[in-house]
Amino acid sequence: MKSTSYSEKTLDHFRNPRNVGALDGPDVAVGKVGNPVCGDLMYMYIRVSDDRIVDIKFQTFGCGSAVATSSMTTELVKGMTLDEAMKVTRNDVADALDGLPPIKMHCSNLAADALHDAIKSWRAGRRGETPEPPKAGEVRSSCGLPAAKPPAIEGAEALLGKGVYRRVEDPKAFVDKRVLIVDRGKPSVDVALDLTKHTGRVIFMSSTKEPSSKDDPRTPLKRSDVKVIYEAELIAVLGEGEVEKVRVHDLNENEDYELYIDAVVILE
Amino acid sequence: MPAQVYLDYQSSKPVDPRVVDAMRPWFTERFGNPSSLHLDGDEATDALERSRERVAQFIGANKDELIFTSGATESNNLAIIGYVTRNRKRGDHIVIAESEHISVHNIAKAIEKQGFKVSKVGVDQYGRVSVEKLRKKIIDTTILVSIGWASSEIGTVQPMQEIADVLHGKGIALHSDAVAAEGLVPIDVRKVPVDLLTLSANDIYGPKGLGALYIRRNVNIAPIMPGGGQERGLRSGSEDMPGIVGMAAAADIMASEMPAEVLRLAHYRDRLIEGVLGRIPKSHLNGHPRERLPNNAHFRFDAIEGESLLLSLKDKGIAVSTGSACSSKTLEPSHTLISCGLLHEEAHGSLEFTFGRWSRPSDADRVLEVLPGIVERLRSLSPLYEKEAMA
Repeated sequence: MKSTSYSEKTLDHFRNPRNVGALDGPDVAVGKVGNPVCGDLMYMYIRVSDDRIVDIKFQTFGCGSAVATSSMTTELVKGMTLDEAMKVTRNDVADALDGLPPIKMHCSNLAADALHDAIKSWRAGRRGETPEPPKAGEVRSSCGLPAAKPPAIEGAEALLGKGVYRRVEDPKAFVDKRVLIVDRGKPSVDVALDLTKHTGRVIFMSSTKEPSSKDDPRTPLKRSDVKVIYEAELIAVLGEGEVEKVRVHDLNENEDYELYIDAVVILE
Repeated sequence: MPAQVYLDYQSSKPVDPRVVDAMRPWFTERFGNPSSLHLDGDEATDALERSRERVAQFIGANKDELIFTSGATESNNLAIIGYVTRNRKRGDHIVIAESEHISVHNIAKAIEKQGFKVSKVGVDQYGRVSVEKLRKKIIDTTILVSIGWASSEIGTVQPMQEIADVLHGKGIALHSDAVAAEGLVPIDVRKVPVDLLTLSANDIYGPKGLGALYIRRNVNIAPIMPGGGQERGLRSGSEDMPGIVGMAAAADIMASEMPAEVLRLAHYRDRLIEGVLGRIPKSHLNGHPRERLPNNAHFRFDAIEGESLLLSLKDKGIAVSTGSACSSKTLEPSHTLISCGLLHEEAHGSLEFTFGRWSRPSDADRVLEVLPGIVERLRSLSPLYEKEAMA
């Protein structure tokens, strides 16, 4: 079966998703699963009254079945008690959609997990908050390399001057290069913004969460052409005699992935 | 010919009706086997050799430098595995480009298991091989470099002349999979001295299941499939005469129509690229801005996933491709996009449009009519979408 051989019901929920959006207030809890790296990210918002889900909304980045399972889950559980909703499984969601292509059963059928995460948040007293990222191991990973996390940036010393930079003296050296800048506070933000004048591909990587304050030095990046990756750590610089790619540790998913790059700036 | 808005010519092309006409007699009336010695056999031998000459001519080759195969996959296997097997005494190292289609990566993996060593030369953000980087990958034991003429996916055309110059005089063979480029950019093996070149019939509107391999004189390869010794012993099996006649007819038509066709397709492509980048915020062109196939427009859209885009366009009767993992058999994003330095989340949001012989001027207009609304709708569902950042 093709990965896009969807049932009519699945297509209907993709074309006309129910309960799209967000909820807020002290009686709301949020659940989150997935990761854009894997191609799926879901937020499930539940409003609870007397231990019952009185309202539910979702936001999803993902393929057809990711959108459809999110939509179907909201329809299935609206009005249920929290105990009842905890019992709704991925299979229940797939069945309600008249089945999913086998290859999609695991990767994008995460909506029930997002719902359960939301209920757990509610029960843990995390109400009226922005969503907490799932802790490593709590949510099954669906993509990426097995995680390994050495303490230092492997290979950075060996490739110093061969694509790894400790300071930026001549921005012209970066013309048309793919540059990765590791977050070292405001000076590194300034370097990133400046380099967009010299090359079309500037990536800024920070181990912190996306800043919510307007005063944060990284906030200006949002409106720039810099591609920003939050909650990620550079763990290795790879290449034979020059920088060819880097290995990145995704803190959110506790997984590693590779990124092809020409230069890495790690300010002193 | 395509009834809907078909913008996926890189995946499959209709066979030109003129090619079908040329093939038809070879199914029923002219069914001889070129190996037979009677009149029917002689007729087939004549047609086989005339077809070989016409396809060879299409790339500036001599007729004794071309053999027919079952398609590009077989030609690539025969070129790479056949060459390294035959030339093992001279060395055990080959170089391919990171951006190659997965099928070439998998052939490289297969020969690694036989003890050969494979290096991968990186590409820039547009998917182009850097000649300097290639030079550094070459070592004393390198015997073969394999680099696709152009990417069927992102449309980037490689600097083949410069690549051939780097290898000149070093005794290293150059193989190129030219299926994405044939019929779209001029290929002449007298000008660009490749040693092995992969062609497919369908990519020039011939039948599927038929391809060819150009093998320069004095370049030796070993067969990979033992059998009756057809095609100079390099590709055993009775010749597929309807297919071979069809490929020759397709090559003739392409040779005469290509100059005008390429200009027309480039016009559609440019109209689409300009329209998409101009009308859709946070949209980006993948592949090289200038050195790209005249029929290829490849985009990515922040905060949306490609399969969702593809399904939405399908609902509007528009056929396209995506490099998103979510629509692939392996759930891995396109390696070509990753090799250009894209993050997985960016590769997921990619969409490929390829024009072809039956494309109409209205096709690009139809896409531009519906795509902005589709992107907006999917972004409104996405938690990655932030209005202020998109503005």
